[in-house]
Amino acid sequence: MNIELTDVTRTFGRNKAVDGVSLAVGPGVFGLLGPNGAGKTSLLRMLATVLPPSSGTLRLLDRDPGRAGARTEIRRRLGYLPQSLGYYPSFTVAEFVEYFALLKEMPAHQVPKAVATAVERVELGPRAKARLRTLSGGMLRRVGIAQAIVNDPDLLLLDEPTAGLDPEQRVAFRSLIRDLGQQATVVVSTHLVEDVGAACTEVALMAEGKVVFRGTPGELTARGEGHEVGDSALERGYSAVLAAARKQVHA
Amino acid sequence: MNDDIDLDRVWVNVAAQVWRRHPGRPERLAARLLRSPGLARALFTTPSLLLPWLIASVLVLGVGALTQVGAGQPLVWLLAPAVAAVGIAYSYGPGLDPAWELSCSMPVSDRLVLLTRAVAVFAVNAVLGLAASAAALGTHAWAGAITAQLTFAWLLPMTAACALALAVAVAVRSAVAGAAAGVGAWLALVLAHSAIDHGAVDHGAADHGAASGSLTDAALASAVTDANLYLPYLAVAACCAAVVFFATRSQRGLL
Repeated sequence: MNIELTDVTRTFGRNKAVDGVSLAVGPGVFGLLGPNGAGKTSLLRMLATVLPPSSGTLRLLDRDPGRAGARTEIRRRLGYLPQSLGYYPSFTVAEFVEYFALLKEMPAHQVPKAVATAVERVELGPRAKARLRTLSGGMLRRVGIAQAIVNDPDLLLLDEPTAGLDPEQRVAFRSLIRDLGQQATVVVSTHLVEDVGAACTEVALMAEGKVVFRGTPGELTARGEGHEVGDSALERGYSAVLAAARKQVHA
Repeated sequence: MNDDIDLDRVWVNVAAQVWRRHPGRPERLAARLLRSPGLARALFTTPSLLLPWLIASVLVLGVGALTQVGAGQPLVWLLAPAVAAVGIAYSYGPGLDPAWELSCSMPVSDRLVLLTRAVAVFAVNAVLGLAASAAALGTHAWAGAITAQLTFAWLLPMTAACALALAVAVAVRSAVAGAAAGVGAWLALVLAHSAIDHGAVDHGAADHGAASGSLTDAALASAVTDANLYLPYLAVAACCAAVVFFATRSQRGLL
């Protein structure tokens, strides 16, 4: 398993952002669904080794990220797109992707080809020499995805990757992550249910810091039978599970 | 003829050559010295090592040196620690680096990047300060006696001001706060110490039936020349280094 979490909790002051989550995830595309504030980003930041858990155990790529040497090894094989991607306005697309390829300690001679491949995969070839300050929000998101996949990661973590993408780009993105999920573990955090239905082999739904559902998109759809809230079958499943979880919390 | 040419692969190889960046000689040298092209690249993207910033630093210290030559005010020694403190605060950190969150997930440790950049910025400012200092010294009688002392003595307060700026910038996660702390503390110390020194001179002058005017150059420079301050400067630098170490420790925000 590339991700193994056992009773992982993360608190910020009195707020429990992630509350006793246990998960084991292997290769494939894993969707992390949930409303805003459900704890998806905090969970993803822990998986990205940016944030340590307050309690519980976390193993990534069969290593303990709490140990410095293992953490460095995990980070070499990690791709991460944060929810808010900061960027250097004066960098070109290729320079930005190259910068993170070098910080990921890729062998220098492999970097130019890896950068070109990543930029082409997100269909930014024609803008490769454009400064980041001249790009639209959707293009910047794709630059973020390019830096995340430049090292061909075994563990790819994408936080709201489709934010700002137009429908055509979203279709292309789903195809890309399905392709990446053949070999790697791809975790996609989103609140867009349709992305999960189209691209993910498995899905977890988070609410109030807990995982309240885990299964295939088909199983989530089945939970929505008889439920009326939602425009699609998957949305109805999402709403039904969320409503049940809220009822349980308030009971 | 082979009809199975993979045009995508050919194009990627072409694009790799067309888009590749050719690092300059200094960056290649740094990559070799640091044994990390990533760390070298991070070093050469330091905001306070970019050309506009360096030109600004040279201008400030140049004006200081000219003023020192012309009016005899000990400006270089007063300016150098402040200029370096601002440069250090703007070298790296969560309040400055837009891609900080992403940088924290990289195998090249953010602490190592911070250290490399801080050392480089300090070294550059020290060299600029020493050049300005050497250009300005020896032109005034009062400086003659303490020339050797003044040429190097400001490096110590500069170290303390830089360490304070870095510690505040990292702890508060704001480059502005770090720069303000470094410059403010240095300014306050210079004024406070020179006022004390000036008072002592005044007292001595009154004993001899004479009166002195405003703060003297020697009094202003006393924050640099007073050997009693050397140990406190070192202590401040050590404490601030400990704060930086603590603030960037693995279990705070990072693993």
